[in-house]
Amino acid sequence: MLVAWAIFKKELRVYFVSPLAYVFLGVFLLLAGLFFYLGVTMTGEASLRVMLGNLSVSLLFLLPLLTMRHFADERRSGTYELMMTAPVPLWSLLLGKWAACLALCVVLLLGTALFPAILAYYGDPDWGIMATSYVGLFLVCAAFVAAGLFSSSLTDEPVAAGLIGVVILLPFWVAGTAAELVETDWLRTVFRHVSFLAQIEPFSRGVIDSGAVAWFVLFTFGFLFLTWRSVESRRWR
Amino acid sequence: MKQQLRRRLAYGSNATLVTVMVVLVLVLLYVMADSHRVRWDFSADASNTLQADTESKLSVLDQDGQQVTITAFTHQRGKDDTYFRDRAVRDLLVEIDMASSSVSYRIVDFDKERLTAERLGVTDYGRIVVQRGKDRVDIKDRDLFRRTGKRADHKLNFMGEAALSRAFAQILAPTRRVAYVLQGHGEPAPSDRGPSGLSDLVSALDIERYDVEPLDLLRTDRDGAAPTVPGDATLVIVAGLHGPLAPQEEDVLLGYLGRGGPMLLALDAGAPTPVFLPRLGVRMPDGLAMDKVLIFPYKDRPVPVYKRHPITIALRESKQVTVLVAPAPLRISDPLPVGTRVDPVMVGGRDSWIERGGETDGGTPIYQADIDGEGPTTLAVAVQLLPTGDIVRSSKPTARVLVIGDSEWLTNSLLLEGPGNKDLLINTIHWLAGDDARLGATVGRRTAQRRLALTKKETGRLRAISLFLMPGLVALLGLITWNSRRGR
Repeated sequence: MLVAWAIFKKELRVYFVSPLAYVFLGVFLLLAGLFFYLGVTMTGEASLRVMLGNLSVSLLFLLPLLTMRHFADERRSGTYELMMTAPVPLWSLLLGKWAACLALCVVLLLGTALFPAILAYYGDPDWGIMATSYVGLFLVCAAFVAAGLFSSSLTDEPVAAGLIGVVILLPFWVAGTAAELVETDWLRTVFRHVSFLAQIEPFSRGVIDSGAVAWFVLFTFGFLFLTWRSVESRRWR
Repeated sequence: MKQQLRRRLAYGSNATLVTVMVVLVLVLLYVMADSHRVRWDFSADASNTLQADTESKLSVLDQDGQQVTITAFTHQRGKDDTYFRDRAVRDLLVEIDMASSSVSYRIVDFDKERLTAERLGVTDYGRIVVQRGKDRVDIKDRDLFRRTGKRADHKLNFMGEAALSRAFAQILAPTRRVAYVLQGHGEPAPSDRGPSGLSDLVSALDIERYDVEPLDLLRTDRDGAAPTVPGDATLVIVAGLHGPLAPQEEDVLLGYLGRGGPMLLALDAGAPTPVFLPRLGVRMPDGLAMDKVLIFPYKDRPVPVYKRHPITIALRESKQVTVLVAPAPLRISDPLPVGTRVDPVMVGGRDSWIERGGETDGGTPIYQADIDGEGPTTLAVAVQLLPTGDIVRSSKPTARVLVIGDSEWLTNSLLLEGPGNKDLLINTIHWLAGDDARLGATVGRRTAQRRLALTKKETGRLRAISLFLMPGLVALLGLITWNSRRGR
C-alpha cells in the first residue's frame, strides 16, 4: 500500500508541476461554466442538472486525454521497463496511477464548487440533489479513468491511447440514444443497462441507487482488471 | 522458438479465459445488484419517492398483470417553465416504471410525432394518456401543474403523482358511474359553460369516470311514469335551490336516501331548504356565516377551517383553502335523530359568527351580540344515516350525505379558482360513493419548481464569472507554474 501511496504522490506531482493539469482544469472549467450558464439561463432554475449531464459526456472525451500518457508515455520514454522490473506489485502501481488521476478529477470537481454557491446566493437550490449529483460525477470519473488507463496500456502512442479510450467509452454513451430508438423491449432494456447516462440519471435527481453504484464500481474494477491483464501480458508476450 | 510460441499460447489462452471469466462474474454481480436495488432519496421534498397510495395501486396493477401504457406528450417549446414541466413528468414516469412491472411509459414530442397524437386523439400539449386494454384515462396539463403567484414571482407545483394515482384508480375501476344533478328549481345546469354553470364540475367528474346527468323529479316520462331517481345513480347532487322542493320530490329524495343513496346538498343562505333537512340532524339558521378572517379582498368569504374527516385529510395536509361565497351557517341538531351521525367537515374560525344585519365597518360586517348569532359557525357537515334510523331501511347500507352552506363553490366561477374547491369536490364525491381508498390520492405531494429569476445585470455577472473569471484564473495559475518551472 505504501508503494501505491508513493506512486500516487509522484503522479500527482507530475500533473501539477507541468502545465497539463492547468490546461486540463482550464478547459474543464470553461466547459463547466458554459454548461452552467446555458443551463441556468435556459431553464430558469436553481439547478445544476443541465451542467452535470453535459459534463459527464464531456468527461468521456476529456478523461482519456488525461490518462493517455500513463503507460504509453512510460513505454515511449523507456521508463516502462524500469517500472516493470522494480520490486513493485503491479496492482499497487495501477492503484497509485488510478488514484492520482481520480484525485485530479476531484480537484476538477472542486473547481465547479463556485456554481452551487452562486445558485445559493441567487436562489434556493436543492442541496440533496446537488450532493448526489457530485457523487455521480465522481463515480463517472472513477470509471472513465479506469477505462482510460486500460486504453493507455494497449499502445505506445499517447494520442492513439487517448483515441482508443474515447472509442472504448463511446458505446456506453451511444447506448442511451439507442435505447430510445429501438422498438424491441429486451434490446431496449439491455441498452439502458449499458448506458452510463441511464446509470447516472438517478444521481441527478437526488437518488443514490445501489444498482447504479454497483454499475460504476464494477465498471471501474473491470477496466482496472483489464489494465492489469494488459500490462502483465507484456511480461510473457 | 517453438517452445516460446507454446509458452505464449499457454499464457495467452489462460489470460483470455481468466479475463472472460472475470468479465462474466462482473456482469453476474451487476445483474444481482440490479435485481436487488436499494434507493435512497436525498432530494429536499423526497420527490423521487412514490407515496404509499401510488405504490399500492401499482402493486394491484402488477398482480392483475395486464399491461398499462402511459403516453406523455411534451409541452410547448419556448414557453415559460417548459423545461420544468417536461422534466417533472419524465422523472415521475421513471419512478413509476421502476416501481412496476406492468406499467411502461413513452414520452412523445408533440411537435414531432403528430401521428401518435392524432392516433390517440390528443390535440393539446402536455397531456398524459393512460391506457389499459380498452380503458383509457386522460390527464390534462392543468391537472398536473398548479401555478401560484404572477409573472416573475410565480411558482409552479407539480402534482403529477396524485393525478396518475387517480388515473390508476380509475383504470382499476373501469365502469363509469352516474351522478345526477337535480334541476327545475333554478339550480345551475351541468351543460352551462357560463360562470354560474357546472360544466367544470362535469369535466372534473369525467376524469373520475363519472357521467353527470340532469335529474328532473317534477315531470313524468313520456309513458306517464312517476319521476324517480334512476337506478344507476351513484349519487345525487342538489345544489343551488332557488325554489322549494315539491312534496313528491322530497318523498323521492327521501326514498333514495332510504335505499342508502348518497347525496351532496349544497344550500344557500336565504334560499329554500329541503323539508327533510332536520331529519338528517342538520338545521340552517337565518343569516350568513361571517368571520373576522376573510379571503382578501372580499367581504363575504370567510376562511373555512377543516375539521378532521376523511374528506379533509389531504386538504389539511396541503393547506389548500376552499373558497365559499356568503355561506349559510349550519347547526347540528342536539339531540340527533336516532340512527344519524353528523360530523363537522368545515367550520368558521374562532372569531366567526352568524351575521344577521346591522352595522358594518367600512363595508365589513361586525359582530353585534344583540342581533347576530354566536360562533363558531359550521359550514359543512358529513351525515351518515344508519340502517337503525327512520330513513334508511334496515336491509340497506348507510347513506352518506354532505351538507354544505354554499352552492357557488361548485360553479365554474369558483371550482377551479378556489385552491381547494376542486379537491373538496372530488374528495366529497369519493367519500359519498364509499370510495374511501381514493380519498388520499386527490391531493398528493407537490414538487415545487426552484426558480432562479435573474435580472439582466445578474445574468451578465453570472456569464462573466462562469465563462471568463474561473477558467482565466486557472490559466493564470498554469502560466505562473510554467514560468517558474522554465526558470529552474
